[in-house]
Amino acid sequence: MQYILKKAGEKLDSEYIVSMEGIKKTFGSVQAVKNGEFNLKKGEIHSLIGENGAGKSTMMKLLYGMYPFDAGTVTIEGKKYESITPKTAIEAGIGMVHQEFMLVKELTVLENIILGFEPTKGLTIDFATARKTVQKYIDQYNMDIQLDKKIAQISVGEAQRVEIIKILTRGANIIILDEPTAVLTPQEARRLFEILNNLKADGKSIVFISHKLNEIMEISDRVSVMRQGTYMGTVNKVDTNENELARMMIGRDVFLNIEKKKSSVGDAVLQVEDLWTSGEKEISKIRGLSFDVRAGEIVGVAGIDGNGQSELIEAITGLRKVEKGKVILDGKDITNLSVKKIREAGLTHIPEDRNTRGLNRQFSIGDNLIEVTLDKEPFSKNGFLKKDAVKKFAEELIEKFDIRPAKAELPTSYLSGGNAQKVVVAREVTLGGKLLVASQPTRGVDIGAIESIRSILQDVKEKGLGVLLVSAELEEIMSLSDRIIVMHNGKITGRLNAEEANEEELGMLMMSGKEGGEA
Amino acid sequence: MSEKTKAALNILLSMLLALGAGAIVVALQGESPVEAYAALIRGAFNGKLKLGTTLAGVTPLLLTSLAFIVAAKAGAFHCGIEGCVFLGGIVAAYIGINWTFLPGPLQLIACFMGAMLVASLWSMIPGVLRIYFNVSEVCCTILMNSVALYITNYLVSGVMSAGTSLPQSADVDPHVRLTQFMKPSSANTGLFIAIIVTVFIMTLVYRTAFGFKLRQIGTNPANAEFAGTDPKKMFISAMMLAGSIGGIAGAIEVLGVHGFFLNNFASGLGTNGMLAALICKNNMFVAPLISFFIAVLKSGAMGMQQATSVPKSLVDTITAVFIIFACMNLIGDIKKNRDLKEGRT
Repeated sequence: MQYILKKAGEKLDSEYIVSMEGIKKTFGSVQAVKNGEFNLKKGEIHSLIGENGAGKSTMMKLLYGMYPFDAGTVTIEGKKYESITPKTAIEAGIGMVHQEFMLVKELTVLENIILGFEPTKGLTIDFATARKTVQKYIDQYNMDIQLDKKIAQISVGEAQRVEIIKILTRGANIIILDEPTAVLTPQEARRLFEILNNLKADGKSIVFISHKLNEIMEISDRVSVMRQGTYMGTVNKVDTNENELARMMIGRDVFLNIEKKKSSVGDAVLQVEDLWTSGEKEISKIRGLSFDVRAGEIVGVAGIDGNGQSELIEAITGLRKVEKGKVILDGKDITNLSVKKIREAGLTHIPEDRNTRGLNRQFSIGDNLIEVTLDKEPFSKNGFLKKDAVKKFAEELIEKFDIRPAKAELPTSYLSGGNAQKVVVAREVTLGGKLLVASQPTRGVDIGAIESIRSILQDVKEKGLGVLLVSAELEEIMSLSDRIIVMHNGKITGRLNAEEANEEELGMLMMSGKEGGEA
Repeated sequence: MSEKTKAALNILLSMLLALGAGAIVVALQGESPVEAYAALIRGAFNGKLKLGTTLAGVTPLLLTSLAFIVAAKAGAFHCGIEGCVFLGGIVAAYIGINWTFLPGPLQLIACFMGAMLVASLWSMIPGVLRIYFNVSEVCCTILMNSVALYITNYLVSGVMSAGTSLPQSADVDPHVRLTQFMKPSSANTGLFIAIIVTVFIMTLVYRTAFGFKLRQIGTNPANAEFAGTDPKKMFISAMMLAGSIGGIAGAIEVLGVHGFFLNNFASGLGTNGMLAALICKNNMFVAPLISFFIAVLKSGAMGMQQATSVPKSLVDTITAVFIIFACMNLIGDIKKNRDLKEGRT
């Protein structure tokens, strides 16, 4: 890949507002960045892409001074830095919007923006001046932010805009966004892109970290690729395409858009009838849902996070109490049965949160693979664990599902997101059963793992299981599902056949028909 | 360095530092630390009586530390082992005195079964309160220790009193006495019972499906629930199991050491077991060694006080300092762990 190196960056160094060279960073025994390189021109949108664990976020956190770098040089606006702290980074005009927003939920938007940099008048905070300054930025970039609402009351998209304003008011010229679209709907993402283009037109330089290739092709001027901690090269967007970028990221061709196979659809394996259940705060989060999933089909549930998908899944899988209505699995009423009974009836489940629900991070890969079938032979006999059988089974699955590192005794906390998810998928798919509930099965995993998990879901469907797929990735829903259900605010707002669905329509339904409505 | 060697070095280093801190205190009092520690060692090992006393002291600590660890493996902080020791003791005394209609061995077994049953039911209370009413098991168990103490106090001062001036029960039937094998010390076959129980619990926790589930809910209850294990049931079971181990300790003390229920006999046993568990961070396999170390300190302290002018309470200081250092993770893996975690995000 080295041949692409410098292809787009042959000009003089001085044109770069930021340049990082020969960067190395080690965490404990993990070398997160082996040979990092990054150049940012003034007034460009530069995407930094790579699989999970490729070191792209680490590179930018090093630039922002969140960790010290072990080796290499960083030059910002012509000035060389031996070490960087967040303070020097902010002074040098760098601002970063993190994946998890750094906002205080109980404070208002305005308070959050000025937090730590409050203009004062005597002993009190000068809110009037603060408001004037902040409003200037809001108007300038057409941001649509309500300054007096509490963070807890605003949407994710708006919170992200608050973060951007926050760093602008601190005088940032270089703005780093770490996977900003992961939490947004397509409509919100488009709005973010407009803002980014405005910022660019105003001479700000933007670093956009992502692994969604379609977005990168839409927004970037240049793209830098990292793989396994190493800089692979920089290309101009106009000179490249999605396939080339994917190849640079992974080192081989990938096929994400699997050809959808039509398998013979059988009887309903899951029937949900007038289901009501409560959320953490709301008494009735799910209000009267009815749908079914038939054998040999994938039913996708689309919706913005937090519109009741999690509660729906938990109610079906026995992790949340059903208040009213029925859940029928393969003809058997499983409403409010114990998880164990529901699983015995043939339900398998890839949960949305693999770290707390799906895996025990302190247990080994082997123990995680058998934790559902623990009480059955050959894994235990008369109550005693059969370690040899566990190990043999684990080694088989590790090989079959290509889990790395291939060590059955290794605690799953040592695995990358993709491999950890493969452990969950391997366990659940191997159980067989009648219905697979897959919730956000590819969230936070790298492209290689996304590819294999998606094809596994197809295989499961072909074997004649019903699959209920919940995903925040519309593209995933559309490429896998046979039928699509759209949820908004605990209700179904649309039922479509996959062939007739398009992103715009789904996006509208996800916001319940109101374009640009509150998420 | 592997995690295990690191942990072992950490404990060893803490132990040395604690002993060093003790030495400074001794030196400040104008005594020779070397002499004081030599007297302590002599006091713990020199002669049948002293060695036997040390062994008798290890027995309850082995069990109480084990009990605490079992609960901890399920995610509970069980401060109430001491109460279970008291109740186990009083039940063993009651059955040992009154159930003479049973043939000797059966009566002995009944003593232990009764002690385990009552102690586990006692320990179930905080478990149920925690699971169904969200009452902190820490507060609850600490308070229940006093309740257990007063219940036994009431019984041996009243209905079960031997009629002596001291509040204590009558002697248990000689058939149920555990053999003392190092007379005149009180070391008794209870030590072997304790060792068997320890091995049994180790097997249970690490080799059975029950133990798997117990560790599962202790490390990640949400995942346990997802996989089909009932975290509520398992938590309460673990609390009961811990209680029953405490009950065994009480029965051994009564049947092996005293031969009757002596008021307040278990005070400090539960706490010291808990300390042993905390020092080794709930490692079941290291806890016996720590229990032994604490028992040596305790039983040698008297010898040290007699030979030098150092008060025996010094050993409590040493134990406390030991815990502080052991919890500090001197080998510095805290920082490394943090770096690793941040690196992965």
